[in-house]
Amino acid sequence: MGTSTSKITPQDQAILDLKTQRDKLHQYQKRIQSLTTRETEIAKQLLAQNDKPRALLALRRKKYQQSLLAQTDSQLEQLEKLVSSVEFALIQKDIVFGLQQGTKVLKEIHKEMGGIENVEKLMGETADAIAYQQEVSELIGGRISTHDEEEVEAELEALAAEVTGTGKTKTPAEELPSVPNTGFPSRQQEPARQEEQQAKVAERREALLT
Amino acid sequence: MSSSPPPQPFKFPREHSFPPFFTPQTNLTTHHAQQTKWSSLVLSYCRHHRIFKLSLSDSLSQSDLFHNQQINRRLSPQHQRSIIDFLRKEGRAEYQKENGGDLVYIYWRTPEEWAGIIESWIEETAQKGQVLTVYELLEGENTRGSEFYGMDREVLIKALNVLVKRGKAQIFGQEDSLGVKFF
Repeated sequence: MGTSTSKITPQDQAILDLKTQRDKLHQYQKRIQSLTTRETEIAKQLLAQNDKPRALLALRRKKYQQSLLAQTDSQLEQLEKLVSSVEFALIQKDIVFGLQQGTKVLKEIHKEMGGIENVEKLMGETADAIAYQQEVSELIGGRISTHDEEEVEAELEALAAEVTGTGKTKTPAEELPSVPNTGFPSRQQEPARQEEQQAKVAERREALLT
Repeated sequence: MSSSPPPQPFKFPREHSFPPFFTPQTNLTTHHAQQTKWSSLVLSYCRHHRIFKLSLSDSLSQSDLFHNQQINRRLSPQHQRSIIDFLRKEGRAEYQKENGGDLVYIYWRTPEEWAGIIESWIEETAQKGQVLTVYELLEGENTRGSEFYGMDREVLIKALNVLVKRGKAQIFGQEDSLGVKFF
């Protein structure tokens, strides 16, 4: 002991005092309880000896002690309530302290961010910077503009029309891939051919859809 | 002590009804075996009856531990002392006063073991940082049913001091109203 005496706060001391008081009441109750049982026995004995008045006296004493017991019970309750309120108040104190710390930290962080106007300004600047960046990359990378895009699509359409033949009157049955009638192609040729055919079909579909 | 005596009587081992068990054996090996048997008997007897403090003279004359009436054999005081010394060497007994005397603590649980039990109880009931009175630990409503309920006050304080040394507790208050704070 001695090295860490500082760990005991005045509150701890107060709680200990309360609890000691409670313990003393406990002991008092025990004493009274043993007294009452003894009084009953005395009364029994006296009654056996036919000494009614003294038996009555013993019973009266017992009654009185029982009333004391009831009183101490309520006192005990008071004490226990007080102990638990003190303990609870200590916990509340801790919570308030914790909240305080948290708020402080939060405020500091906000301060570092520099207020709402600053954030708004920053967001505006960010949007500006992004727009500027887009412009720059369009300029440098020669990104295709919407106008160019439209032109490219028109050209694609024209090409598609050329490939499928100008008329779009073909029935769906004619659109199915034709059955190969050239015998088995050699192994190297096959995938190439298939790809070619698939590409063709896709192209036709696209042409129809547009 | 306030603890209620266990319902079933203590079952003595076979040796206890063996007359030579009560006479110090001269053969060294036999003597050692005898001492070991006796010490484990003393420990289990005290554990069964929750005896924390043994009065040497009283236990010699009163209890059935050192005196078997059936075979009419009684341990000699010297032999009893030698058994206690044997226990002391194992850290299972301690004279209340340094220089001997009549009262001996019998540690069927050493203060260290008690300290562990108390610590885990504190842990289980989430009472770290709480202030408890020593009386509360021994006789309180909360500890009823725990193993240290109704144990010897001095042994409890020894156990608490073990916790203090480990920095897990702090004892404070006056002598008659000691309190403990657990960390």
